[in-house]
Amino acid sequence: MKNKIKVFRAMHDMTQEDLAQAIGVTRQTILAIEKGKYVPSLDLAFRIARHFSVTIEEVFTYDDELPIKGNRG
Amino acid sequence: MKKNTFYLICGCIALLLLAVFWYSVEVHNPLFIEIAFLLGIAIAYLARKRVTDLVEDERSAKITEQAVLRTFQVFWVVFCAFSIGAVMQILYIPQGPRVLFTQPPPALLSPRMMGYFQLALLCLMIFLYVGFRIYYARKYGDWETDEE
Repeated sequence: MKNKIKVFRAMHDMTQEDLAQAIGVTRQTILAIEKGKYVPSLDLAFRIARHFSVTIEEVFTYDDELPIKGNRG
Repeated sequence: MKKNTFYLICGCIALLLLAVFWYSVEVHNPLFIEIAFLLGIAIAYLARKRVTDLVEDERSAKITEQAVLRTFQVFWVVFCAFSIGAVMQILYIPQGPRVLFTQPPPALLSPRMMGYFQLALLCLMIFLYVGFRIYYARKYGDWETDEE
C-alpha cells in the first residue's frame, strides 16, 4: 500500500504532529504509515483523506506488484 | 495526571508490594500479599484512567494485541507440554507383572517442584510479553527516525 500523506502534508504545510493531533493519533503512527510500516484501518484512512478534503484513492493506492503484507503478525 | 506521574505511582506500588511480600514471608501469612496485590492492581488501573497525556491509537492497540496473542500462543504450548508430562508422572501406573514394580521410577521433579516450575513459567510469561511487545513495536515503526 502506497500513500501520499507526505505530499498532502507539504501541500497543507502541516507537520506530522499537526496531522496526528488533527485526526487523533500519535505522531509515530503518521510516521509509520508514511514509511509503509503500518497499514491504517479503513476508518483511519478515511479520516486522513477527509482531513485533506480528498478521496481515499487520492491518498492511498494499492500496489499490485507488492506482496500482500498488511499488519498481520 | 501526567504520564510520568503515573509511572512514578507504578514504581511506588511495586516497591510497596515488595515490602508487603517480605512482611508476608516473615509472618508466614500469604493473605497480606494477596490482598496487597489486588489493591495494587486496582490502584494502578484507577491511576491509568486518570492519565491525560497518554494517546492510544489503533497502531498501539495493534501492537498490544499482536504481542498478547503471540505470548499466549507460545506460553500455552510450553505450559501444556510441561503439565502433560507432570500429569503422566503423577498418574504413573506400572505395566507388566506388578510384583516386579514395587516402587515407581524416581521422579524427575517432585509434585511440589512441578508447581514451582509452573509458577516460574507464569513469571517468564511477562518477559515473553515484553519481548514480543518490543518486536512488534519495532515492526510497526515505533523507533523509526523522522525525516522532517
